[in-house]
Amino acid sequence: MNRNWLYVLIGGLVEVVWVSGLKHASSWWEWLGTLLAIAASFYLIIEASKRLPVGTVYAVFTGLGTAGTVLAEMIFFHEPFAPLKVLLIALLLCGVMGLKLITDRQEEAEH
Amino acid sequence: MAWIFLVLAGCCEVLGVIGMNRIVRRRAFSSYLLMFGSFAGSFALLSSAMGSLPMGTAYAVWTGIGTVGSALVGMFLYGESRSWPRMLCIAVILASAVGLKLIT
Repeated sequence: MNRNWLYVLIGGLVEVVWVSGLKHASSWWEWLGTLLAIAASFYLIIEASKRLPVGTVYAVFTGLGTAGTVLAEMIFFHEPFAPLKVLLIALLLCGVMGLKLITDRQEEAEH
Repeated sequence: MAWIFLVLAGCCEVLGVIGMNRIVRRRAFSSYLLMFGSFAGSFALLSSAMGSLPMGTAYAVWTGIGTVGSALVGMFLYGESRSWPRMLCIAVILASAVGLKLIT
């Protein structure tokens, strides 16, 4: 796999770590880890965006972050599976990814 | 209350993105202050909202508001395209966010 896409993949996974931290961190070292994870995911995405189309990077990254967060909350934090909630989150994700991908295509057409 | 925090967190995220755009054009201290201050506020508000909301829901809505807000800012401040597919995506995001609010 291309190194830049690897950055996006790792960035998306790290995103799930800090989102979990924002909800569940309680000790100072957990908060420190959360802050480091925020910095790391931003860094990876900015680096990947320098060499790949920004909208596509963001669409994939958000997709990983959103899906990962919903899965993590059910697997690790025992949130019950609510079909309607998951469906609405998936719909919202489609809107976000669509918006970002369209923006890329239009920028390409302009240049 | 959690939903108000969440909407404010999304708005702060948009301010952070405006700061980012300013940094690209002009590397001034005020641009960095705007970006870092807004993102810090956004994360704090998101964390407060997650106190009572499920994290998947809160994160998705936070991202959605940030994305819609950034697209609107792009359209109104930077003259980006207002094509119907973009508007449709914005409508889908807002409708699903409202749906999530209603079922929570």
